[in-house]
Amino acid sequence: MRIAGKLGGAVVSLSMVVVLGFFLFRVIPGDPVVSWTRGRPTTPEMQAALRAEWGLDKPLPQQFLDYLGKLLRGDMGTSFTYSRPVLDVISERVGPTLLLVGTSTLIAVLLGLWLGIRGAWRRDSRFDRVSTGVALTLWSTPTFWLGMLLMMATGDLFPSRGMRDTDTAPGFFSQAVDVAHHLVLPSVTLIAVVYAQYQMVMRSSLLEELHASYLTTARAKGLRDDLVRRRHAVPNALLPVLTLVFLHLGLVVAGAITTETVFTWPGLGLLFYEALTGPDYALLQGLMVVTAGAVVVMNVFADLLYRVLDPRVRAA
Amino acid sequence: MSVVWDRRRTAWAAGWRAFAAQRSGVAGLALLGLAVLVAVLMPLLTGADALNVARVVAPAWEPPGSGHLLGTDHTGRSVALLVLNGTAVSLLVGLTAAGLSVAIGTLIGVTAGHFGGWWGALLMRVTDFFLVIPALVLAIALSSVLPRGMGTIILAIALTSWPSTARVVRAQTLAVEARPFVERARALGGGHLHVTGKHVLPAVLPLVLVNTTLTVAYAIVAESTLAFLGLGDPTRLSWGSMLHQAQLQGAVSKEAWWFLLPPGLGIIAVVLAFTLVGRALETVINPRLRG
Amino acid sequence: MRAKVLRLAAAIIAVTITSPFTSPPSAMAQAQPPVTLKVAIVQQIDSLNPFIAVFQSSTEVGRLMYDYLTAYAQADQKVVEGVAKTWEPSPGKLTWTFTVPDGKKWSDGKPLTARDVAFTYNLMLTNEVARTANGSFVANFESVTATDDRTVVVKTKAPQITMTALDVPIVPQHVWESVTDIKNYANDQVPVVGSGPFVLTEYKAGEYIKLKANRSYWRGAAKYDELHFVYFKNADAAVQALAKGEVDLVNRMAPAQFDSLADKENVTRNKAQGRRFNELLINPGAQTRTGTPIGDGNPALRDVRVRRAIARAIDLDALVKRVNAGYAEVGTGIIPPVFPKYHWEPSAAERRTFDAAAAKAELDAAGYPPKDGVRLSLRLLGRAGRAYDEQASEYLKQSLADIGIKIDVQLVSDDQLNQTTTAATYDLAFSGWGTNVDPDFILGLHTCGQRPGADGTGGTTDSYFCDAEYDRLYAQQLSEFDEAKRVEIVKAMQARFYDQVPSVVLCYENALEAYRSDRFSRFPVQPQTGGVIMAQNGVWGYYGAEPAAQSASSGSGRSWLGIAAGGVVVLVAAGGWFVARRRRATAEERE
Repeated sequence: MRIAGKLGGAVVSLSMVVVLGFFLFRVIPGDPVVSWTRGRPTTPEMQAALRAEWGLDKPLPQQFLDYLGKLLRGDMGTSFTYSRPVLDVISERVGPTLLLVGTSTLIAVLLGLWLGIRGAWRRDSRFDRVSTGVALTLWSTPTFWLGMLLMMATGDLFPSRGMRDTDTAPGFFSQAVDVAHHLVLPSVTLIAVVYAQYQMVMRSSLLEELHASYLTTARAKGLRDDLVRRRHAVPNALLPVLTLVFLHLGLVVAGAITTETVFTWPGLGLLFYEALTGPDYALLQGLMVVTAGAVVVMNVFADLLYRVLDPRVRAA
Repeated sequence: MSVVWDRRRTAWAAGWRAFAAQRSGVAGLALLGLAVLVAVLMPLLTGADALNVARVVAPAWEPPGSGHLLGTDHTGRSVALLVLNGTAVSLLVGLTAAGLSVAIGTLIGVTAGHFGGWWGALLMRVTDFFLVIPALVLAIALSSVLPRGMGTIILAIALTSWPSTARVVRAQTLAVEARPFVERARALGGGHLHVTGKHVLPAVLPLVLVNTTLTVAYAIVAESTLAFLGLGDPTRLSWGSMLHQAQLQGAVSKEAWWFLLPPGLGIIAVVLAFTLVGRALETVINPRLRG
Repeated sequence: MRAKVLRLAAAIIAVTITSPFTSPPSAMAQAQPPVTLKVAIVQQIDSLNPFIAVFQSSTEVGRLMYDYLTAYAQADQKVVEGVAKTWEPSPGKLTWTFTVPDGKKWSDGKPLTARDVAFTYNLMLTNEVARTANGSFVANFESVTATDDRTVVVKTKAPQITMTALDVPIVPQHVWESVTDIKNYANDQVPVVGSGPFVLTEYKAGEYIKLKANRSYWRGAAKYDELHFVYFKNADAAVQALAKGEVDLVNRMAPAQFDSLADKENVTRNKAQGRRFNELLINPGAQTRTGTPIGDGNPALRDVRVRRAIARAIDLDALVKRVNAGYAEVGTGIIPPVFPKYHWEPSAAERRTFDAAAAKAELDAAGYPPKDGVRLSLRLLGRAGRAYDEQASEYLKQSLADIGIKIDVQLVSDDQLNQTTTAATYDLAFSGWGTNVDPDFILGLHTCGQRPGADGTGGTTDSYFCDAEYDRLYAQQLSEFDEAKRVEIVKAMQARFYDQVPSVVLCYENALEAYRSDRFSRFPVQPQTGGVIMAQNGVWGYYGAEPAAQSASSGSGRSWLGIAAGGVVVLVAAGGWFVARRRRATAEERE
């Protein structure tokens, strides 16, 4: 029953994303034909033809219905810049972003969990203070600035752009090493900025668990401290963090925009930035609908995961 | 009535003592005080022509030491003066955006909690939606379709960062309204305005305060990010616009670390200060964190 | 629990790392590594379809793939052989006969004939989409026919001065005649059949474009094997990549970036004259073609004396020195000095020298005395994110304040700037144009006919200049086929423009380029003195690049330490997976 409610909520959210996309990029900016024809020699007849082709001569509600219908068929319109279907342009950039965001999130989560657990266990120790301080400082750092500094500071160590060189040998291993080599700076940038949240939540979540009475019982039973920690406290404290990973995916996506821009990483974030400089409203609309939609879906997924992992919620 | 005020005053005083017991929070507060002082005083202390590109005579890209504490930028202006003068706009944008954001969040949270029913459910649905959507992505989208300017940036940040406040405030509103004294007030004929204004708002105020400090931290980083992406107002001097200039003029190639480091460190310092104060306040309000 | 997470993590890493390699590796099984020229580009490619691509980066790649009907010589930009070797106008200049010599071939071996030329132009004449990028060149065409494989005859409706400057890529008929939907034809089926010195072999959006030398190019193959364009969003990163040796050639640098390369080993810099000018538009009272006023420009600017006063108040020398760091030439006429034949310089008597006092006197005479120190309040529009506008606006604000004109600087997005100039809702605005070898386009831009139609759309001008004298001269030069006489008229037009000041030409920015001299010893520049390597009116810079005698391997700039770090990441991922598996095994044993 509650799952159905969650799914229903997600559907509502998704449709709100769609409405917002239409409103933001079709209603506010005005005539897309003017944007599209900039810098190209056009006649009023050509503009009128374009307007008819894009259905802009129809009343707004009708335009909205058309937009909806097209969206359901997977048609997000044509990019002003690339003169190609928006969905095609977006889909070829998904891979690199998944690689960057996936790797970074994974490492950030592992790092955050480890530091959080250690910090909570030795609360107020020097380690706890220092690691909390470092985490908060990095958390306060603008992503792009950190990226620029890293690029300046590392000199020759890492490539300055992109995901691969154009002349790396075609074999799998050399390609993988090349990509990994390119991945280091962008992922370090992204990890540094996002890991703090996982550390903080893990730390406080574990602290709450440590107050719980069952731990006292476990200790009273004579279990060793590290066993208590590993077997009982950590798994329970882990749950909120896991859902947080998905809840905060939006933040990582935002970080990816600036990181990819600084390092010319050929993913969705870079595409987003390029679409901004136009601005290419059709592409921006597609990107917003796709990223926001993905985050909504991820949240439902997180919710389901939570249910699977935590028997207490399942029973409720 | 004065009894109530006395009680509140003692509560706030106790809160302050709990806050003062946390060194990091106090350090953050001191840093903030310093930043505000700089923001207010610097425009008065800086000579009229010191930051006027058409009037400065120093060579561009001077490294630190040669007459300028932190060197000069691409136009020959002193980086130290720029950073100090940039404090005002960065703080202003952060505070205004956070204030607006928290105001929206509080209004929606209290309304949703107080009225409940389908109206409250609808408000929470909207809140959840905005909570899920990546705030910065939405802020970028908003500032790309609205006309450039400081107002747009403030609006874009505020309109996308209110949901967490709304959630927290709603939960607190529900908790407060379940207490006997509110029920009594209601039984005695207190209207919606009376209940929310006299009972709910004062009770959620500490929470709102915490959220404001944390939102300011977010807003300052968001401002710099928007400026970096070229969506800011380049005619106004802020830390974000300085970094934007640094990037545009090739500070990384020039290895002009003196132009790149100070604005970023300024952002970190102020954001960190707000975060520390926010966390300390959180501990005051939620003693469980104190342990 | 932990083992599970770890294993999941390792699996994700493994999958994501392998996923980008679904494309088949290119066949490069030569023993000798190919000599490659790697060029950094900071503008993306909008399309590889030559009929649609409008970005400068894309047209440049298009030129490498497809020859035009004619070309411009490297040394002096004179018209030379392209697809056609000879051409002959009829006495009335209405019919032009071009001859395509025997022996030219497409990169797939098929002969390149006059029929391909006729096909290309006719496609543009019959298909509106095909006119998207280069439609203006054929707007005046009556008909195009190939009378045989060697001869193509173009008839125009009126004499057209640009008949030997048709910058239209000629495409192969045998490939394009089967394309039904030009709009959605990406033209990325590699290798793309072309006639230029290079053949497109791979394109990855947002990453790179790879081309290889066309061995059967009629001028002879290039002196190296492959040409890669590598995309950088961040100009700083491109400059650093050059310093490290990751790329061989970079252009469009900011002055600070150019300066930063001054003492770098193995890097040679090229400060060239650019083809662009930056200008400050002064709204002269915008009107449509039918004479209806549009926009809300300050009425004071309709007075030429006010416009002249504004121009006089701007210290162009200081602007070049401070904003361009000296990497520009002070602006005069609307044709840059890189085209010395048509470029115009005012005589001592004509020249408006910087003089704030004189500017104030002119404003007094025009009837704008200061009230509380302010004579006029004007808006100045520029593009946010364009370094020149952001910086120059500060200077102009100050300069004009000095003569009592209060400036409200508004830096907006590209789109908003475009909409504002189209609607003429500005007082002052930054603009700029690139110019071609033939001055017709840039001159025609400022004629009355380029103003928008009665409905306010369809205009190309942003200066809203409309001057009977200027238009008369424009018509005169259009039908003047005697070059010396035409040059005189063109200069007279620029003098008129300068005198009437619908805009102040601020400067001609230098094109700042640099290359790795340890990898390539020489790049032909166009024109011979002060010329550019990239963004030429041709492809000489890429085509004629000469590899250095001992060309270092292109990977040499790469640090082994960094590679090792990359390797460590891969190893850690693999190791993590391995450990996780083991852990799981032992955990099962333990429990």
